Amino acid sequence: MKHLPRRTFLRGIGTAIALPLLDSMVPAFASKVQADSPCRLMFMYAPTGMMPNAWYPQTTGTDFEFPRIMKPLEKFRKDVLVLSGLGDKNGYALGDGSGDHARAAASYLTGTHPHKTEGADIRCNISADQFAAAELGKKTRFASLELTCEDSRQAGACDSYSCAYQSISWKSPTQPLPPEINPRLLFERLFGDLDLSGTPSQRANQAAYRKSILDLAYQDTQRLQGKLDATDKRKLDEYLTSIREIETRIAKAENDQQQVPVGLEKPAGIPPVFADHAHLMLDLLTIAFQTDMTRVSTFMLAREGGLRTYGEIGVPEAHHSISHHRRNPELIEKVTKIQCYHLEQFAYFVEKLKSTPDGDGSLLDHSVLVYGASMGDPNIHDHGKCPTLLAGNGKGGVKTGRHLRYDTQTPICNLYLSLLDIAGVPTEKFGDASAKLEIA
Amino acid sequence: MQRRGGLLCSARASRVYWLSSAAILFAFVLPGLAAPAPDRFETSVKPFLHEHCVMCHNAKLSSGGLNLDRFLSQTAAAALSDREHWEMVVQKLKAGEMPPKGMPRPPADQITTVTDWVQTEYARLDQAAKPEPGRVTAHRLNRAEYNNTIRDLLHVNLRVADDFPVDPYGYGFDNIGDVLSLSPVLTEEYLKAAERVARAAIPTGQPQKLIVARYLAERMGQANRLHVQVVHEFPVDGEYTLRAAWFQGYLPGFKMKGRLFLDGKQVLEKDITIYTEMDRGFEAPDLQISQGPHKVEASIEIDPAWKKEKPYVEYIQIHGPTKQTPPELTAPYQQIFACGHAPGHHNPSCARKILEPLAHRAFRRPVTAKELDDLLSLVKMAQKRGDSFETGIRVALEAILMSPNFLFRIERNPPGTEAHHITDTELASRLSYFLWSSMPDDELLKLAEQNRLHDPSVLHKQVARMLADSKSEALVENFGGQWLKIRNLESLTPDPVKFPDFDDELRDDMLTETQMFFSDIIKEDRSVLDFLDGRYTYVNERLAKFYGIEGVTGPEFRRVELNGAERSGVITQASVLTVSSYPTRTSPVIRGKWILETILNTPPPPPPPDVPALNEEAIGVSVSFRQELEKHRTNPLCASCHSRMDPLGFGLENYDAIGRWRTTDGKFPIDASGALPNGKTFNGPAELKAILKSDGHGFVRSLTENLLTYALGRGLEPYDRPAVESIVRSVEQNGDRFSQLVDSIVASVPFQMRSGAATPGGD
Repeated sequence: MKHLPRRTFLRGIGTAIALPLLDSMVPAFASKVQADSPCRLMFMYAPTGMMPNAWYPQTTGTDFEFPRIMKPLEKFRKDVLVLSGLGDKNGYALGDGSGDHARAAASYLTGTHPHKTEGADIRCNISADQFAAAELGKKTRFASLELTCEDSRQAGACDSYSCAYQSISWKSPTQPLPPEINPRLLFERLFGDLDLSGTPSQRANQAAYRKSILDLAYQDTQRLQGKLDATDKRKLDEYLTSIREIETRIAKAENDQQQVPVGLEKPAGIPPVFADHAHLMLDLLTIAFQTDMTRVSTFMLAREGGLRTYGEIGVPEAHHSISHHRRNPELIEKVTKIQCYHLEQFAYFVEKLKSTPDGDGSLLDHSVLVYGASMGDPNIHDHGKCPTLLAGNGKGGVKTGRHLRYDTQTPICNLYLSLLDIAGVPTEKFGDASAKLEIA
Repeated sequence: MQRRGGLLCSARASRVYWLSSAAILFAFVLPGLAAPAPDRFETSVKPFLHEHCVMCHNAKLSSGGLNLDRFLSQTAAAALSDREHWEMVVQKLKAGEMPPKGMPRPPADQITTVTDWVQTEYARLDQAAKPEPGRVTAHRLNRAEYNNTIRDLLHVNLRVADDFPVDPYGYGFDNIGDVLSLSPVLTEEYLKAAERVARAAIPTGQPQKLIVARYLAERMGQANRLHVQVVHEFPVDGEYTLRAAWFQGYLPGFKMKGRLFLDGKQVLEKDITIYTEMDRGFEAPDLQISQGPHKVEASIEIDPAWKKEKPYVEYIQIHGPTKQTPPELTAPYQQIFACGHAPGHHNPSCARKILEPLAHRAFRRPVTAKELDDLLSLVKMAQKRGDSFETGIRVALEAILMSPNFLFRIERNPPGTEAHHITDTELASRLSYFLWSSMPDDELLKLAEQNRLHDPSVLHKQVARMLADSKSEALVENFGGQWLKIRNLESLTPDPVKFPDFDDELRDDMLTETQMFFSDIIKEDRSVLDFLDGRYTYVNERLAKFYGIEGVTGPEFRRVELNGAERSGVITQASVLTVSSYPTRTSPVIRGKWILETILNTPPPPPPPDVPALNEEAIGVSVSFRQELEKHRTNPLCASCHSRMDPLGFGLENYDAIGRWRTTDGKFPIDASGALPNGKTFNGPAELKAILKSDGHGFVRSLTENLLTYALGRGLEPYDRPAVESIVRSVEQNGDRFSQLVDSIVASVPFQMRSGAATPGGD
């Protein structure tokens, strides 16, 4: 079938992508259209806690009133499931002293207490998204996409821990995945950045060279390893596994025959305004989900315990500083404003997926999106109350339109067990999970 | 693995304490130590602990994480095995911080007896111990190192690594081998970078299309400004025309001056009189510009007396290449095609002639026959597929850039488990990545391969040459930027309502000042104590106005002399004062912490679990900030640390949150006086700096520890004490010169040697 010409726009800084994507446009840059749409899994992480009074609905069941922060989701009431009572106890000190923000990020999706270190011997555990990606990623070009809107670059330690613990996605106990922040680079990863003007034989040559170059790098690394001690060997192991992974990815990309859709322009860089930035990243993620380039993603809205300021909504103070509000109403108001602003980005994504057709329904019907934080009231680093909500019914695996309340400090990993089931990667054990959550 | 586990504990509990207290310990080392005195432990130390310490520092309360109670039931030898805690004891006693205020003070001679006993015992243990140089883990190039290495290897300055994921930090720096990990995303970026760099270095022969790029000031967040800047990536070496346009309604007869800058250098100055509405631009035509990113700036200068609507820079436009430099005349081509032939004229023996030196320099050591053969076979493969010889070289270059020998700095394991000297080529790499954040140049590599580099006089000359080279700017940027934390300046956003003067230009100026100040200390080989109180700095007109320094005009930075009353040294530079503030106000706590960490390397322990850091933002305006802060120090739990941090910060209250001098804060006059836990008092920043300078030893030690960490690319460990001590001593004996510090680090055991593998040759 001949693909439709299209006019899709991904304009420069600050402009969202208008994507009137029709099903028939998809194959040009996607793997085969799935007769049976897969289930996508996405975790959006809200950093630095959540004000409980503006978050938790008063009542459970179906007719609850949407509190202030969640308000933008009210129009998707039927697609949302709010969960109260979940906790992330591994975020607590447990004898390790300060560093609640670093632990919040590292423990959130791993259900594991991160090993406290500023440098050598970083250790946590595989995260729920990566557990799913290890399996689901076999079928897609990217096992997963890790995204963020704030760079973790900051001279010095990050909250008494190595800054590596700012990652929520962990491929293995020793390999945190750095998230992508730049929409331009995300675009290049999705659509390739190489000159596609060459002839098919030039492109075939380049593909052959890449393969030989990676083979050679692999062999050289293996040869080197024989002469090294265990620590150095481990470092080079990271290179070996990475080479293998991108070889697979390149092979898949070649089969895809992917092209940048006509008129789809590369973003110029990072928009200065937070919402513009988040929209651009989420637009690209929508395409990646829709075209089945990946089925798993994490999105960290900003650094945990970070110092971003949000002048555009009237908050010129650093987020973390005011999150310790000490019950000062003025500061509570400001920190709540940030939390509302963050959730608006999630609502934007929900809307986007809901309006994107996918197989027999919408993309939202074939996804489970989790929005949550590893802390309740940030003033006291309350890891015992993780604000959590889901959107999308995961192809029927989640019964949405409700607010459920669990016993205090039910491990949030219980939710992950259920989500992994829905995503088709069942497991009996994950992190500190004690049992599956009944969310169907 | 045992060893590593142990290190970790010490790193985590406090890298701080042994380091700070080492100063005290080693000042005490005397030749011919007396016989062990375990009896003094029983007769003096235990009674002292019992009387003055264990009521708080016991198993139950464990105040400050310290349980001294258990020592009472131990032998001297057993108790001494916990060095970290003993050194904390010595530090706190010597500094007069313990017992805390309000508790009975032990007689001075009893304190001395305890501290002497601890120091003597450890000095004895250290003398008996074998030197241990430690091991540096295989170190992948970080972003700065990757960029610089590509620049020096190929003369390609694309800064491709700016697109790589951010490097993780450890021990305050982003060049720590243990912490630098490698993900699939980064590997993908490596491949992309290798292809981009190789294509830039070896163009395919297609002429570059002419491009007109127009940057609208408004779109870059620089609307309505007299000065606009942009970084443009020039696709190839060639001639380009830079142009800027102003915007304003019709202003006939209006006079102004237009200027264009390329990489900070003025390339055009033009007097302009507006006659018609069509007069809208000024340009610098046909400039020869090399491939890669360059900064382009445009400014207009108008009569300050003009009160009506002012024109402003509307856009910068770059047009070109109007003439492309032939490939064989570009620097990368000449560097790579060592056989000297023009494109299309190479003969078969050229491949070897080209690839051998290229791989040799890229791997920073001689290439093996197997490695060279592998590369040559890639050239053959490309030719077999119908591609040109140049394309074949390009593929081989890509392979070089993907090789672990390029991406990692790996030191080999000789047989055996003994500590050993690293090879001269390994030493060359350690040296060049320390001082240049880049690969060794030909001279350094040659000396190394002749096995002459380790010769102390050769080494000394090379260090001097390298520090004098402009590539040592990397030390300022990477070490200085992280040590002083001024790298964070880039991502800070002071409240635009409270600080409307703070903009990107002022931000750049602040950074430039501190960098030039640091460079000056290197280039002029000054005393490192100038960091504390150097009576000079570098400013341009904008920064001079901000500081209230008169007589400086124009955008160029120049040296000015200072009297030290308001400014001198890094602590009172705007860059540092800004990174140690909140976006909306100053923070004596953060500034005090900054001094403890950066200047003294004695960071306070983190606040106890679940006690939020003091919330300064929450403080109202009804009482002075200082009163509010002092109130919380009445809580003994807070006081033990905040009595160290806060006074230091109060001494800097004369500077607002972007470092501007002030004498009042709102309606309250500034009180910049303070008392340190050791009883010293001061009033104002000049006196505070005098106190810090009087303890020059503490600063030299702190700088040594920081620079040694950076030089080695690993955290310091207890066994590095003797090395630190001897570096500090030699610096102090040589007028505190910066070059002496670098020389001594380079000559030290941990820099020159490597511990044997616990298990040679593998697991």
